[in-house]
Amino acid sequence: MSLSYNDILQLFKFHSGWKLLRADSAPLIISFLNKAFIEPNLRSISRSNLISKLEDTLYELRQSENEECYPRSASAYLEDWAHDSKGWLRKFYPDDSDEPHFDLTPATEKVIGWLESLSGRAFIGTESRLMTIFEILRQMVLGAETDVATRIEALEAEKNQIDKQIEAIKNGEVPVLDQTALRERFMQFSTMSNDLRSDFRAVEENFRKLDLQVREKIASWEGRKGDLLEEIFGERDVITDSDQGRSFQAFWDFLMSPSSQEEFSELLQKVFAMDCISSSKPDNRLRRIHFDWLEAGEKTQRTVANLSEQLRRYLDNQAYLENKRIMSILDSISQGALRVKHNMPRNSTFMNLDKLSPDIHLIMERPLFKPNAEIDLSGVILEAEEAEFDSGALFNQIYVDRAELEANIRRELQTVSQVTLCALTEKYPLRKGLAELVCYISIASATHLSVFDEECEESIRWEDSDGRFRRATLPRIIFNRS
Amino acid sequence: MSDQKESGKAFSKVMINLLKGVMYADEDPKLWQHLLNLQVRVRDYAREIGLSLEISEDEGFAWLKTIEEQGEGEELPRLISRRQLSYPVSLLLALLRRRLAEHDATSSDNRLILSKGDIVEMITTFLPSGSNEVKMVNQVESHLKKVADMGFVRFLRSGKDTIEVRRILKVFVDAQWLNEFDQRIKEYLLSAGGEVKEDE
Repeated sequence: MSLSYNDILQLFKFHSGWKLLRADSAPLIISFLNKAFIEPNLRSISRSNLISKLEDTLYELRQSENEECYPRSASAYLEDWAHDSKGWLRKFYPDDSDEPHFDLTPATEKVIGWLESLSGRAFIGTESRLMTIFEILRQMVLGAETDVATRIEALEAEKNQIDKQIEAIKNGEVPVLDQTALRERFMQFSTMSNDLRSDFRAVEENFRKLDLQVREKIASWEGRKGDLLEEIFGERDVITDSDQGRSFQAFWDFLMSPSSQEEFSELLQKVFAMDCISSSKPDNRLRRIHFDWLEAGEKTQRTVANLSEQLRRYLDNQAYLENKRIMSILDSISQGALRVKHNMPRNSTFMNLDKLSPDIHLIMERPLFKPNAEIDLSGVILEAEEAEFDSGALFNQIYVDRAELEANIRRELQTVSQVTLCALTEKYPLRKGLAELVCYISIASATHLSVFDEECEESIRWEDSDGRFRRATLPRIIFNRS
Repeated sequence: MSDQKESGKAFSKVMINLLKGVMYADEDPKLWQHLLNLQVRVRDYAREIGLSLEISEDEGFAWLKTIEEQGEGEELPRLISRRQLSYPVSLLLALLRRRLAEHDATSSDNRLILSKGDIVEMITTFLPSGSNEVKMVNQVESHLKKVADMGFVRFLRSGKDTIEVRRILKVFVDAQWLNEFDQRIKEYLLSAGGEVKEDE
């Protein structure tokens, strides 16, 4: 693409990746999203899950930086990042869930990748990349050649080359890649593999764009329907037969074939066993990169199937014609509705609509009147004495020392005239979690010197025994000295 | 023998589910498969009580519909009653139908999910602008609840303010129904002596 002033200006203003780089809270957003999505290689995270992760991050930041930074709630941040005007996260509802899920957008992924590349690599291998480029050119030229004679000639030349090599090895000349060349190749392998993994998001996005283009075309089509079908379907399926679709399919077929999977695993194992590779502490995730590819590829595969199916449904004969008609009737209804706006029909029946199913009420299914039976408790005597067990075990699960908490309050009130529960728990963090909080509340409700302010809410945080952060929101409780 | 028993039970299950409401493929895929296999029996059975089975395989739902008797012959009483709708509820249905059509034209997402705020915003243009906004929101909410009772929208479990518009709406609020709605508004305008301007 060209990088004229106007193009750049356009990107600067509207590209969500660039917006992300310019955002004031970019350090928070990028580090958080990288930790949440890229590092564990996740493609979708449920809202509640992501919120709790972000809350922890925010809490730590507020502790280590300062209380005032990042004042909004985790959910507000997520909504903001997923908003169309930002476009850093994609929010969607999976088919089987009522909870929204989030995924990175390709733009965000690019930004993260770019930032990573900024940190500079130890050395940049030029030789191995040149070889790769050569190989690609050779594949293209040879693969496009239809002349039989030329092809045979090329293969012959290759054969001669191999014969020569065999001859050389027989004579004891064994050419071995030196360590630099090996490390260089390994680095290239790792960059390309990681790139490939991250490409899936972009591939999916491309598929979605393609689908949208087709939908727009259908919606704005003015000509005959037959022409439309011909235009769109012709002899091929728009999505799976696009360049994107074919390349993806070929990739998928190759990856899915058991023989290539086996070969790949074997090669990886051998490479990782090499001394110069294992000594440079390679990223262990690369060992199973092809499983990551499989996983990501499968998800893309499903998206493609889904898109194709929905597009077909959208194009369904009747639906297409009906949609056109419906839109024009709806326009007319809107106009009418605006005109009756200030004099709306008041009667309870304006329209009728069939119910979705019959109401079947059988008279015998209605319960008869039944007087509330009083349960006679007088005859039941609970004989607890007979059972021999230490009921203390029940109470000792969590022991909260009420006296200690009361002492905390008193100590605090020696210096100030009143203190909120929230401030108190910051000074004396909750160690027994909810039980301790409840104990504070019971102390507060037992004395008239404390006030429950229902108008204000406060959040109280603590760390539970598993090291997770918990939070409770309750009305502000104020303890007073007198 | 046990096979027969098995299929008999499946048939009963399918029939009872259909009589209770719309059947969705994704809610119970196994039952849906039974329905597809037993279609003919279900159709025959339904016809006896004046109903016809409608299946939308693409969309993945099925429902029962009253057979409209045409011509002579004694008409059967309607098993499925009609629901009477006030004007605002009818309008809400029409607007939701528009949202669904627009959604299909612009998104590859199958599900249409709206927030309560979206819906309030969508309909307030067509309601008299009173001073009491809270009252208006409450009203819209009560209309929405009616639509939910009818089974055309569903409150999502996760967010209390998020609503999924069920795709079955497409079938019931169709061109014919909308056309009738349009006609009634026009008739009303004529009989009510035309529009009333805001400043009057």
